[in-house]
Amino acid sequence: MSQALVDLVRERFPDAKGSSHRGDEVVTVRREQVVDVVALLRNQAEMKLLRQIAAVDLLTFAGESTGGGALASIEVPAYALEKKPRVEPRFQVAYNLYSIVRKQSLRVRVELRSDDLKVPTITPLYRTADWWERYVFDMFGIEFVGHPNLQRLLLYPEFVGYPLRKDYPVRKRQPLVPELDFPDLVRGPGPGPGGAGVPMSQTHVGRQNVDPDAYD
Amino acid sequence: MKTLPVVRPEGNVPESARLGGEEGNVPVLLSRLKESIGFFEKNLSSALGWARKNSIFQYPFVTACCGMEYMSAMAGRYDIARFGAEFPRFTPRQADLLMIVGTINVKQSPVLKRVYEQMCEPKWVMAFGVCASSGGFYDNYATLQGADRVIPVDVYVPGCPPRPEQVLDGLKILQEKIQTQLHRAATVEKG
Repeated sequence: MSQALVDLVRERFPDAKGSSHRGDEVVTVRREQVVDVVALLRNQAEMKLLRQIAAVDLLTFAGESTGGGALASIEVPAYALEKKPRVEPRFQVAYNLYSIVRKQSLRVRVELRSDDLKVPTITPLYRTADWWERYVFDMFGIEFVGHPNLQRLLLYPEFVGYPLRKDYPVRKRQPLVPELDFPDLVRGPGPGPGGAGVPMSQTHVGRQNVDPDAYD
Repeated sequence: MKTLPVVRPEGNVPESARLGGEEGNVPVLLSRLKESIGFFEKNLSSALGWARKNSIFQYPFVTACCGMEYMSAMAGRYDIARFGAEFPRFTPRQADLLMIVGTINVKQSPVLKRVYEQMCEPKWVMAFGVCASSGGFYDNYATLQGADRVIPVDVYVPGCPPRPEQVLDGLKILQEKIQTQLHRAATVEKG
């Protein structure tokens, strides 16, 4: 149904690869093109809704998009991860776009090699991309270049590692964390750098650009 | 209270029959005055324990789905007020019992610790459900594997979520514990 959208993208970006998965149209583009592709879809196909930015860690998963059955090994059991051959490009970032007017959806996919996990940000195009990109950074460690405030969203700054990567140990435990200073909304009052009395706008994560008088 | 040395018997005495531990001392009462004070302390402790166990003001620290079962335990059918735990106080400073109802994650644990520290003595803690008791099936990167990693817990109520009967049973166990604890009217500093 959304083949017209894929054609629209391929008309401007001839090296974009179109595919379909269970009725969902996917267009795979190069990393340098992603901002232009999303902007094209937003401005010319009325895709005003960014449903989600998701990431996929393939690690050893050899599917159709990553070289097919040549990499798949049935001799190595699934739990012996370290013996299975690695897949490159390992990560994928998917932008799920939707047009409310046209009732069409399209997924824009970017493939990333594990030695260079950087994607240009699309926060100038969608406000909601701010938190989605922070979420992907939080869980997968993918850096969104140009993001205004790329910090952990759900987890806390002391967390080591990226828990949704496939090579994060399932049983790994993180140490307990201390309280933060008073202006922190989540981790409560407590002594810390800056101490109590510092306006929230100056210390709370994500509030750097807010007028101090508006919150304190 | 003074101590007297214990004359150890000769031979191979089993550990359970030994008195006084490593130091060889055993506490004794040396005067009628001390004995009578002890008698009244015991009775006073028992009376205070009775009062405290039947007037448990609780602070529900509700973080997850166990809250539904907590509401059920609070509401008319199961009615935890029958056992004296009448009032949920929504400030820890007025509460005796901290009920940890739900999953505690690592990011949240300083908050829980602060809430516990804000409660006045005497205070008790109930871990409501498996998540608060042991992390439950959230055996993952974010969840605290039991609230007792952060604060001391008096009674654990298992279940996912626990039935209200289990909560009431846990409350009665806690009441027995409170009754048998030593309660003092005031702490007297002696030179």
